Amino acid sequence: MRKILIFLAAMMLAAPVYAIDGNELLEKVDRNLNPETFEMYRKLINQEPDGSKKEFILYSAKKGKDKVVSLFLAPASEKGRSSLRVGENMWLYIPNVGKPIRITSLQSVTGGIFNNADIMRIDYSSEYNCETVEQSEGKFLLHLKAKTKTVAYDTVKMWVDDKNLLPSKIECYASSGMLIKTLYFKEIKDFGEGIVRPSVIETDSPLHKGYKSIMIFAKFKKRDLADEVFTLNYMSRVGDLR
Amino acid sequence: MAFNAWAGEYDFDIPEIEKKPYEFGGSIKAEYVFSGLNEGSTQYHQKFYNRDEGSTLHTYGFNLQLEGSYQKGIAKFYAKGNTDLTYDYLGWEEDTSLYEGFVSIKPAPSFTMDAGKKVMKWGKGYAWNPVAFTSRPKDPDDPEQSLEGYTLFSIDLIKSMSGPIQTVALTPVLFPVYEETNNKYGETGHINFAGKLYLLILDTDIDFMFFTGESKEDSYGVDFSKNILTNFEIHGEAAFTRDYEKQYIDKNGVQYSRRSDETSYLFGLRYLNKYDTTFIVEYYRNGKGFSEQEMTEYFKFTENAYSTYLSTGNEKNLKKSLGLSKYYFSEKNYMKDYIYFKATQKEPFDILYFNPSLVVIFNLADASCSISPEFLYEPVSNLELRLKSTFFQGGSYSEFGEKPLDYKVEFYVKYYF
Repeated sequence: MRKILIFLAAMMLAAPVYAIDGNELLEKVDRNLNPETFEMYRKLINQEPDGSKKEFILYSAKKGKDKVVSLFLAPASEKGRSSLRVGENMWLYIPNVGKPIRITSLQSVTGGIFNNADIMRIDYSSEYNCETVEQSEGKFLLHLKAKTKTVAYDTVKMWVDDKNLLPSKIECYASSGMLIKTLYFKEIKDFGEGIVRPSVIETDSPLHKGYKSIMIFAKFKKRDLADEVFTLNYMSRVGDLR
Repeated sequence: MAFNAWAGEYDFDIPEIEKKPYEFGGSIKAEYVFSGLNEGSTQYHQKFYNRDEGSTLHTYGFNLQLEGSYQKGIAKFYAKGNTDLTYDYLGWEEDTSLYEGFVSIKPAPSFTMDAGKKVMKWGKGYAWNPVAFTSRPKDPDDPEQSLEGYTLFSIDLIKSMSGPIQTVALTPVLFPVYEETNNKYGETGHINFAGKLYLLILDTDIDFMFFTGESKEDSYGVDFSKNILTNFEIHGEAAFTRDYEKQYIDKNGVQYSRRSDETSYLFGLRYLNKYDTTFIVEYYRNGKGFSEQEMTEYFKFTENAYSTYLSTGNEKNLKKSLGLSKYYFSEKNYMKDYIYFKATQKEPFDILYFNPSLVVIFNLADASCSISPEFLYEPVSNLELRLKSTFFQGGSYSEFGEKPLDYKVEFYVKYYF
């Protein structure tokens, strides 16, 4: 009986360690970053070392864990281009080309440091398993490992604020262990409907020294959309959603 | 608030968010082409037999594309016009046409009805699309340039599902060919039918398509596309045409036609390496194309006609040869077996928006080819600069060896608004 009591006491003492379930935490981070189904506008800015910059405006919508569609509204040279992601499948529709073509997550439709996986982001918990969690000084550090080889980054380190459970920094690594890029989450903003999240993501990369890409979020709101919106045949009509 | 990223301040003002019922845009392009003539080639003799243009040509081109749309409720009207103004050794030429002009009725995301002139491109190939039964052939030298559509009526039905089949979409098409409508497509006076069934199944795009009617031979096709890895995509197409009629001429000028079932197919891949170089490689078997022997007969007839013209001044056979060129050169690559190779380097030396590429189109039958290095640069938003040169290589009676040009260098400035 005494042994049992000691065992139960030990289990109770150990409980706080087991309370941090990395994958559960990752899902909470996903939901805090955005509702499962929403629409938003983004401004993407690529900035060169000399200060010159190029801007893109996108309308995007997401449904469920892994369906995203985006439409370029500006500049005029990109207007009407849309991209679709369903899980790890990605397509790009260019009005002149007139049909969707498959693209890969590592390419970039905008140039600069953000690649297609960054622009067409789906839930982290859809793509990654959390292998370990470290906790220190008001932060969780999540060590994420890609579920499949088709995910853009093999491993990801995510620093999460332990109060609001929102990421503050993410490092993305290739399978070789090389750091590909770092994302910085900034300017937490209340978008309404309970959506409180960073409104700016900055990124830099050791592969592109001196260059910086910035993503600014606006008009982030919940919206229920038909599944058929996230299909190839609908890509030329994404503008009708606005 | 002014944007100043380095100071941690951001401009959240995005005026483009406001949607208007109408939209208007377009592009304007100025182009200069410098060409070196291949004065010994068959196609030079065919084209320039009664002219002396020297050894080079200078061509100046201007292009204006305007597009606009207006939406009211579930209806949307879209139009796109194209004007080309060209100055070359023949003088000024202007060509204006409506590329697209159609009405869409969209009561739900799963149902769309389109009526009017529209570009409807089918197929997964980058350089060629043998299954594109309802569109004009694209130019493998510039596969992304916009094309003129055809007047048609179509319905698009989409159904999303859970399970291994994620999407099913059906697109039936009514395709009229009359004197006033689509008259260049085929035999006039008929309404034709076409259709496409799209499936997203196990993360693979698969399409089945058909064309049937009196204007052209019945055709059936299938295509697929799939990402194997994050940086590796494969695709393919196959088209079967029943009882296809082909016109020939032999070296003595005897014309004949032959009917046969023909199959065309294409396999391709797109690969992105760790240095951000994208490779596109495609093999194309053009079942409707001409064999080396058939082309040699045509080229020999043309050369004989040119010799007759030189010795007698009689241009009758040269004109006959030119008249047949619509059969022989109806497609940009008119023979049977090709390899397409394109390598594009993204932003080398950290020069943003600078993308050099190299394109090679290789004719496997006669070992001739075109080689095109290209530099594309977009220094500021909406401004595109392109420098492209193309060199044609090949022996006698080969596709690229008998081109009227040895090489050409093109430079254009394009502005979008």
